Parts: sequence; structure tokens; C-alpha cells
Amino acid sequence: MRAMERIGFTTSIPVEILLAAGKIPVDLNNIFIGSDQASLLVEKAEEAGYPRTTCGWIKGLYSVAIENPLQAVIAVMQGDCSNTLALMETLQLKGIKTIPFAFPFDRDIKMLQEQIEKLMDHFSVSAEQVQESKKRLDDIRSLCWQIDTMTWQDNVVTGGENHFYLVSSSDFNSDPKQYEKDLIKFIAKARLRKAFNDEVRLAFIGVPPIFTDLYQVTESLGARVVFNEVQRQFSMPFETEDIYRQYIQYTYPYGAFARLADILEQIDLRKVDGVIHYTQTFCFRQIEDLIYRQNIQLPFLTLEGERPGKLDGRSRMRIEAFINMLKRKK
Amino acid sequence: MLGIDLGSRHIKIVQMFNGKIGKSTIFDTIEFYRQHGMAGQKKLDIDFESLGFVPDQLTSTGYGKIAIAIEGAVQIPEIQAHAAGAAYQTGLKDFTLLDIGGQDTKIIMVRNGQVADFMTNDRCAASSGRYMENMASILGISLQELGLCSDEPVSLNSTCAIFGETEIISKIVEGYSTAQLAAGVNYTLYRRFAGQLKQLRSETLVLSGGGAFNTALMNIIAEQTGSQVLRADNYQFNGAIGCCVFEEFN
Repeated sequence: MRAMERIGFTTSIPVEILLAAGKIPVDLNNIFIGSDQASLLVEKAEEAGYPRTTCGWIKGLYSVAIENPLQAVIAVMQGDCSNTLALMETLQLKGIKTIPFAFPFDRDIKMLQEQIEKLMDHFSVSAEQVQESKKRLDDIRSLCWQIDTMTWQDNVVTGGENHFYLVSSSDFNSDPKQYEKDLIKFIAKARLRKAFNDEVRLAFIGVPPIFTDLYQVTESLGARVVFNEVQRQFSMPFETEDIYRQYIQYTYPYGAFARLADILEQIDLRKVDGVIHYTQTFCFRQIEDLIYRQNIQLPFLTLEGERPGKLDGRSRMRIEAFINMLKRKK
Repeated sequence: MLGIDLGSRHIKIVQMFNGKIGKSTIFDTIEFYRQHGMAGQKKLDIDFESLGFVPDQLTSTGYGKIAIAIEGAVQIPEIQAHAAGAAYQTGLKDFTLLDIGGQDTKIIMVRNGQVADFMTNDRCAASSGRYMENMASILGISLQELGLCSDEPVSLNSTCAIFGETEIISKIVEGYSTAQLAAGVNYTLYRRFAGQLKQLRSETLVLSGGGAFNTALMNIIAEQTGSQVLRADNYQFNGAIGCCVFEEFN
């Protein structure tokens, strides 16, 4: 692979710009959690001096950025995790080139436009080139939307599969062409399935889980996740004319209330029985849990994860009790 | 019916005949696993007759049940087992159960005899039975003595079973009495789950689990929440009783 054409990023950014510039987009999160050495990556960051009491994702991202040949890392300084600031600085310390990007908290389209144009200038691409790249990616995204509809409406896709394909839409698995092929193949296969007869339908809100077997466990207990909130947002599930409007409509970077509106709409549409809110240990989003709890009028389980790996006994016990409770409520 | 609750500190076994408790026994968890564990098979082979029980239909719950299967047992989730046990023991249908176990605390809201919502303590074992044991041992008093102190509490910051020790030591040097320190321990216990208790509040609160022996804590909860606070009769066996009555309650 053309190592020096690879551009890493810490959360979804306008990936259209990277592709227009002929770069390879690499979502550091996907490399981290997809690694069979994920736990070791966390430990390596701790050995470098990251405190034990910080988020596992940030530590994983640090090690991924250090260990993989990347031309630069785009660090999202506003609209994601506040630890990204220190992540960027510690990467700079290691001589890694970083490019800051920010989503405006108040969803001001002018401010966003400035940020996007700055990024376009950095990669020397024109608005036309970016627009062309958007059109191409929207075709692929519409396949993701199909998988999502097949999850909650046709009931032929599992929550784990939905997660797997949608979470990859942040960087198109670093290879949009191959990713598109994979999606088409999966859709054709899933179309032939008989619809699931769900005992319990769950919504999963919050950042993608650091647990590797969450979906497997819920499904083995007779509950299918039919809504993966943030993963779905990664696929930009709406039609837009340009990338400015696209990244303004995207909810994830704009705080709990922007996300809440989308969550409420979708859990109603998808007829879910209960909501699992995943938060990462030491994450500021643990505070926001109270906002979701107060506004979502459905049985609600807050799940906390720290290190990559299988669900611990306690979390498993809580999931089991929650699903059991939902079954009895029906 | 035979019910077995595999806790982190103790294993509780209860046998019920026609809705009445026939026999109940408690074992130390580590010793019990050493005696009955089958190496490499992740299974417990228990000869209930040698323990004084009559062979019967077996239901199990508790921490151990995922890692360790018991030959021939139906497994049920802990939250539901404790809720059923408390509903059976108190005859109540609407209440909040506070179960204080060896290493976790569960708050379960029960409505119309069914689990309506629940929360558990976060990642560490602070404010569980383990914390009480540690603190009593540092103060040089028995658990029973600890459970009687609620007056003039010393303000303590840490509920960590380890850091709490350092804090207690410095307070001893400052000259506080053992009773005041013990009262402080009981208040920190309450503070630790006060927020969750408030969110899942009911008119009646029921205490269960090994930690329910603590009368001082019970009084603090009553005073702070304004709820009526009861203690399940066989509080330590509540989960095992729940195993026995689970089916009829669901």
C-alpha cells in the first residue's frame, strides 16, 4: 500500500476531501478495535505515560498512530472527545504531523464551511473535485442505508452485522471500491434470508462499544439490536446536495441534544423495546447519560466499558437482567 | 425446591417445601469452590445429600453462574432472583430493593411484583460488604458493632476499600472515637448509592443481601430518603429464596 498516502483521523471528518486528493482515509478507531492486539495497544500507550485513568479509545488511537505509517493525522478538536487535544500534542511530540479540524458546537454552517475549506486548501483540492467525490461516496452510502433498512424494517440483518458494515462507513475500510463490493455481496446474501422473529428489539446508542461480543451476547439472549445510533450516523443517512449541508445534518459532533432528536425519532420508528446506552469509562459522555435517561421514555440500561475484549461478568449479568425484564414486560 | 446463590463472598443454599423454608446453609465461596469444583471442567458437582439437603429441582443464580455451571441446575439472572425473593418474603408488590452484596450493590425497582428498572454500583466494590469488612477490621470492631453506629459521623471522602483505610488511620490520629469513625463509614456507604436510590425511589424500601445486617445504615437510609425501610427476614438468603420461588412469581 502507498504508505505515505495514508491519512489517519480520530473520528469522522469530511472524507470526501481525502479521496478527492487521492489519499487513503484511515479511521484510527477501526484499526484499533479491529486489531487482535487491541488490549496491547492500550498497554503500550500506558507504558508511554498515558494515565491508567483515561479512556481506552484515546490510548488505542495513540498507539495506532505511532505504529502505522501515516502521512498525517487529522485530529478533531471540537465535536468529539476533549482528550483529542492531548492526543494531538503527544503525537506531535513523536514527530507525527497533525492537522486540526473542528465541528462548530452551535452547528453554524458558515463556521463549518470555513473548516472544510481550510481542509480542502490543505490537500489542494477544489470544490468541484470534492463534490464529485461526494457523489461517488453517496452511492456507496446508499448501500449502507439499505443494510440499515434491512435491519429494522425487513428484519433480515443482525445488529452485529449492521454495526460491522455501518461503522466502516467512516473511512470506507480505506478502500471504497472493495467496501462497495462487500456491501453488495452482503445485501444479496441477506436478501435471501427469512425474517427474524424478534422477541425483543433493542436500540444501541452512544459510541461504538469497546466490547467485542456485545451483539453476539444480546442475540444469544433473544434480543436483536435494530438501531445502532452512531454507526448509522457515520453512514450520513440523509440525502444532501453538498458536503456542508451533509456535515451539518450529521448529528454526532453537535452534542447530546442534536443526537437526542435523531434518537427519539428512530426509536419510535423502529419500535424498540429498550435502549442500551454505551459509555466509555472516564468519558465525559457518562455525564450526558442523565440527559438521555430523562428524555427517553423506554427501559434504559447504561453500559460501561473500559478495555477492549469480551464483556465482563457483571456487564453480562446486567444485560441478561435487562433483556429478561423486557421480555416480561411484553 | 432447592435454590443456590453463588455470591462473591458466600454461597447460600435454601431448600423450600410447600412455600416454607426447610433448611438453609451458608458456605465461604472460596472453600466451597475448592471442595466441589471439578478441575478444568468449569463445573461444580455438588452432592446435596451430603450437605444435608433432599435431592430436588435445582435453580441457581449469582456471580458464579456464568463461569461455573452446576450440574442439573436451571440458571436465572440475579436481579430477577433478588426481586422475587424480596417480593415473596415481604408480601409486597411495589417497592425498591437495595441488595448489598459482597462486592456489588443492586438497586431494583419492583412494580406489580415485576422488575421495572434497576441499577448497580459502578466498576469497583466500594460500599459493598467487602468495604464494611475492611473498615470494621481496621477499626478493630466486629461487623455487628459497626452496624450500630450512626451518631456524630466523621466526614470521610473515600469509599474505596483501600484508600479508605489510609483516611481512617489519619482520622484515628486526629482523635475521633471509634463510634464516630464507624458512623462515618456508614454515612459514606449511604452516599455511595444515594443518587441511584433517589432515581429508583419507592414509598417502601427493602434491604437484602449480607450487608443488610447494618442497622445504622438502615436508619440513615430511612432518615435521608423519608421512605419506610424494611429488612427482608432472611436477608442473606434472599437470592437463594428467590431461586426457589422464581417460577411462581413469574
